[in-house]
Amino acid sequence: MNISGLSFNALPPIDLPFRYFLTAPLFVIFCGIYLLSYGDSLWLSRWTTGMLTLTHAFTLGFISMVMMGALLQLLPVIGGVGIKKPRFIATTCHMLHCVGTCSLLLAFNAPTLWWLYLAIFCLTLSFLIYIVALIQVLIKKLSQGDSVIGFRLAVFSLMVVVLLGLGLLSRNLDLTPFGLSKLTLLADKHFTNIHAVWGIAGWGSLLIIAVSFQVIPMFHVAPSFPTRIKKTMTWFVMLFLISYIFFPVWAMPLLFVVHAIFAFSLLSVLARRKRRIIDTTIRYWQFAAIALLLSNAIYFFPESWLMLTNDASIFHNLAHKKELILAAIIIFGYLVSVIQGMLLKILPFLSYTHLQQRCLMDFSAMQYIPNMHEFFTKRQASILFYLHCTSSVLLLAVILENQFYYFFAVLLIIEFLYLFFLSLKTVLLYFQVSNKISLSSKG
Amino acid sequence: MTSIPQYMTSKHRECDDYFTEAESAVAKENWSEATGKWQQFSDELALHLTQEEETLFPQFEQATGMTAGPTQVMRMEHQQMRALVQDLDNALNNKAKDEYLGLSETLMVMMQQHNMKEEMMLYPMMEQHLVNGEQLISSFEQS
Repeated sequence: MNISGLSFNALPPIDLPFRYFLTAPLFVIFCGIYLLSYGDSLWLSRWTTGMLTLTHAFTLGFISMVMMGALLQLLPVIGGVGIKKPRFIATTCHMLHCVGTCSLLLAFNAPTLWWLYLAIFCLTLSFLIYIVALIQVLIKKLSQGDSVIGFRLAVFSLMVVVLLGLGLLSRNLDLTPFGLSKLTLLADKHFTNIHAVWGIAGWGSLLIIAVSFQVIPMFHVAPSFPTRIKKTMTWFVMLFLISYIFFPVWAMPLLFVVHAIFAFSLLSVLARRKRRIIDTTIRYWQFAAIALLLSNAIYFFPESWLMLTNDASIFHNLAHKKELILAAIIIFGYLVSVIQGMLLKILPFLSYTHLQQRCLMDFSAMQYIPNMHEFFTKRQASILFYLHCTSSVLLLAVILENQFYYFFAVLLIIEFLYLFFLSLKTVLLYFQVSNKISLSSKG
Repeated sequence: MTSIPQYMTSKHRECDDYFTEAESAVAKENWSEATGKWQQFSDELALHLTQEEETLFPQFEQATGMTAGPTQVMRMEHQQMRALVQDLDNALNNKAKDEYLGLSETLMVMMQQHNMKEEMMLYPMMEQHLVNGEQLISSFEQS
């Protein structure tokens, strides 16, 4: 092991992840307002302008935003090495990511090409800089094998998703002068599916799986995941993702099955945790695992059985909307749940860790650091969880019965305003205490 | 023969056990059990930190010449843990449940990320650089 590159204090400045965490809920709040103004026709299929806007506001604006911010911090904690020039990288990427995502959302809705150009420019540059910075760290021999392999595969998936996304966007541009007319190949719906599946099961899920191997034993004093699962799970996901490109019909069920296995092992590890006190993050993990199992049940339930019922029944509707329902359960019930639960843990954790590191040299300043429950209370965390449960149920309701969209949109706004409030509260308390520590060391 | 990473990691887990049992007892306001488990935890923790600071760290520093590196950060974090243990002692004596649970969450987080750094990096590095690692551990086992 090369010890020269290791630093026990390589945490990047905390305002960098904070800005990712604070902007992420704003995109979902925007989704809520957009849903209210769009009306119930948004839910007719996955191809409506509204649905494209909604999915990208969630996946780019919320999920990727939080994951990019969290990775900045997780790499030094888990791998022992952080990215180089974190302030430059994070500031540039965050700004470009925000502008790029907003432009993309506008491009879906406004007929002008300028938004599209801006989206392509900003998102290409932002992902390029971010991915190159990550690769420079991930190619090193890092200390923690299993999680780091998952990170590598997740970042590889992100590259595939971004490249395909750019290819799909470029269909709207005239590229014949550049000899790229063959991009019309991408008009095939299969490429959109690869983009979506690699985004959800690759970038999103692989990162969550890799992180779970590390943080669940750490935060909840639970046993480690079985070695076989830790060593093979992320590779299997990658194998089935690659297979999906060539043989989608048989690779898709395997992707579902491997996620069901993950869900079962997650529930089993959590059930055997030693730390039994009530913890909202645990409930989020359990909720996410149940969402994965539910998605499996719906995916494997024979459609022909559902169609046996009469035309107006909810089961008939379920069969028609299966694709949309599965996407909703996996994105909102699994990915968003885990991310929200993790935010509840890492916001106070990072704040505390950074404040604690600042007191290594000035021991007396420890007295100013709030305990973990002073950033926000357990009750506040529970409220957010119940809001999320309710909006998850309403999301399914709205897909099946579109006229409920109003209730879902309002609840979505409330839920993410509350998340924003909790994040802001933590950030403000952090800076307040940080100032006290600065004053104490000057004195 | 037990290696440094095996033995020291098993001691982390042992501390976790006592710690979580004490925490659960406080949550149920079972103060006598909480005090017993907490005492076991703080004794184990104190012994573990001493073994690191007085034996393993100096040997590692001597073997690698790294005196201002990882071991220095670990020593400072030990100091912070001791301060939190003191605060928890007070909360337990005052039977202040909410304060105890807030502080225990904090110590838990600090201990876990500290343990992770030791288990993932420092102990494997020690195993690599200390030729007498197994002898040191058998002396710990006998003490």
